[in-house]
Amino acid sequence: MATLLRRALRPFPPLQGPPGPAADVPLRAASHGAGLLYPEHIPTSPLQKALLAAGSAGMALYNPYRHDMVAVLGETTGRRALKVLRDQMRRDPEGSQILQERPRISLSTLDLGKLQSLPEGSLGREYLRFLDVNRVSPDTRAPTRFVDDEELAYVIQRYREVHDMLHTLLGMPTNILGEIVVKWFEAVQTGLPMCILGALFGPIRLSAKSLQVLVSELIPWAVQNGRRAPCVLNLYYERRWEQPLRALREELGITDPPCMSRAWPRP
Amino acid sequence: MSPTGCRRASNDATGRTVRRCLPTAKMAASGSCVLWSYCGHGWSRVMWCCRLPGFRSSWPGGPLGARHLSEEKRATETHFGFETVSEEEKGGKVYQVFESVAKKYDVMNDMMSLGIHRVWKDLLLGKMHPFPGTQLLDVAGGTGDIAFRFLNYVQAQHQRKQKRQLRAQQNLSWEEIAKKYQNEEDSLGGSRVMVCDINKEMLKIGKQKARAQGYKAGLAWVLGDAEELPFDDDKFDVYTIAFGIRNVTHIDRALQEAHRVLKPGGRFLCLEFSQVNNPLISRLYDLYSFQVIPVLGEVIAGDWKSYQYLVESIRQFPSQEEFKEMIEDAGFQKVTYESLTSGIVAIHSGFKL
Repeated sequence: MATLLRRALRPFPPLQGPPGPAADVPLRAASHGAGLLYPEHIPTSPLQKALLAAGSAGMALYNPYRHDMVAVLGETTGRRALKVLRDQMRRDPEGSQILQERPRISLSTLDLGKLQSLPEGSLGREYLRFLDVNRVSPDTRAPTRFVDDEELAYVIQRYREVHDMLHTLLGMPTNILGEIVVKWFEAVQTGLPMCILGALFGPIRLSAKSLQVLVSELIPWAVQNGRRAPCVLNLYYERRWEQPLRALREELGITDPPCMSRAWPRP
Repeated sequence: MSPTGCRRASNDATGRTVRRCLPTAKMAASGSCVLWSYCGHGWSRVMWCCRLPGFRSSWPGGPLGARHLSEEKRATETHFGFETVSEEEKGGKVYQVFESVAKKYDVMNDMMSLGIHRVWKDLLLGKMHPFPGTQLLDVAGGTGDIAFRFLNYVQAQHQRKQKRQLRAQQNLSWEEIAKKYQNEEDSLGGSRVMVCDINKEMLKIGKQKARAQGYKAGLAWVLGDAEELPFDDDKFDVYTIAFGIRNVTHIDRALQEAHRVLKPGGRFLCLEFSQVNNPLISRLYDLYSFQVIPVLGEVIAGDWKSYQYLVESIRQFPSQEEFKEMIEDAGFQKVTYESLTSGIVAIHSGFKL
């Protein structure tokens, strides 16, 4: 029993780098230079991951504005799903290019002037419009901290940065109803436990009317499209800014969202 | 700045600090058990845990013969949790930690200690047993926990004294009666508390709390450094520092300052995390500290690293006996300590005579 306990308390051994410190106590030892897999990495033991997962899930439900808690939940519960995603990306030519080149979507890497000058209806232009209309910025994503593999850490970071692109692709706004729809799509596509939990528990705070619209129209649409479309993480969005959004949607098999006026009663 | 009646040169105290850092290098270099006993008991457990590649790489690590030269080089380095930083850096890093935790400081204290920290602070006041008229300096008292308790205590004492007077059928003088009607009476009986903290955010939170809870009279807030207090000599009856002294870069200087600002006959009281004496409780405590507390920090306050620093800094603090010796070195007499909750915290007390 003691050995089991010790295993649960030892931080997950990094795949490269020196072996982590023994026993339960100073896990942060590894974070002083040696043992860090990427700059923001915080090594955690399985027990800590479990506590983090439970705590972040509870806090995210209690206070939906704690987006950092949703992110932490994703990192601590997503190991298996991230591996599957990463392998999927490796098998796809565009996906493996992404894994090699590691592009990041942030205000510093985006050429906003160029995106602005693109024709109406192109992916880049629509994405910019989405950012403006909803007053969001790609820089508000928290960096990955609790994933104990450097490549998987990139995969989940990419997933977070692509989330806004999904809003654009699906034509969903950033209100709570739109977020739930996108979560359903992502749950089907990625299989991340955090998406599944978010999709199932997100609707708890909705009004009955919104719930009805959600269940009768939006969720079936999201699930259908999620199943039909290839893995959205395999798209090298940075190279597709000029592509018309409509063409991209056709390529992925994404149909138009259900009628706007009926679909958006106030949540 | 050298305090009046300066005791032994700070070399020794610094030397002690240096000696604390050194064993890590020696231990890392040779890993022999013999050297652990040289470090002092408070360090033995930390050393056991500290087979750290990080530490190894930060020391040039010469053989024992070359230690003389490296002692001077290491004199400007100190610990920040389990990390090694320069002394100049430490102050800034500690400031940042408390700046970021200030808003959730009280909530986190309750969560982490399951409310027990209130009992500890009450016990500190009980030990202090202030009477109306006491002048208290509460250093690193940011959010005001000790100060508010002090005010409540002396107010209760004052009321009890008045009740006793009335019961003994002593008539109040007409001045006292007039004052009562005009609500001018000093319900604290002349007691004053000065809250001093180096961190603006913590003081801000403390002031907000005072306003919310209605504490006004007898309370003052001062921005100041425990190593260089902005007060004259021989000013205060009691000096307290609760859960603050382990964050000070030069503990010996803080102790010397405490000695300076106290009146002769004044009392020094320190409430601080200490070494647990029971091995089973120690293991449970370590488990809880390192596994649960940073997670609580992340979930409740969104800040893992500050709470990791907290639990590491507790391990770096000297044991009860060692700290007692440091207090004696600063010139205090009749130094005693009392361990609470199996040594998780300890109250050290000394007098300036």
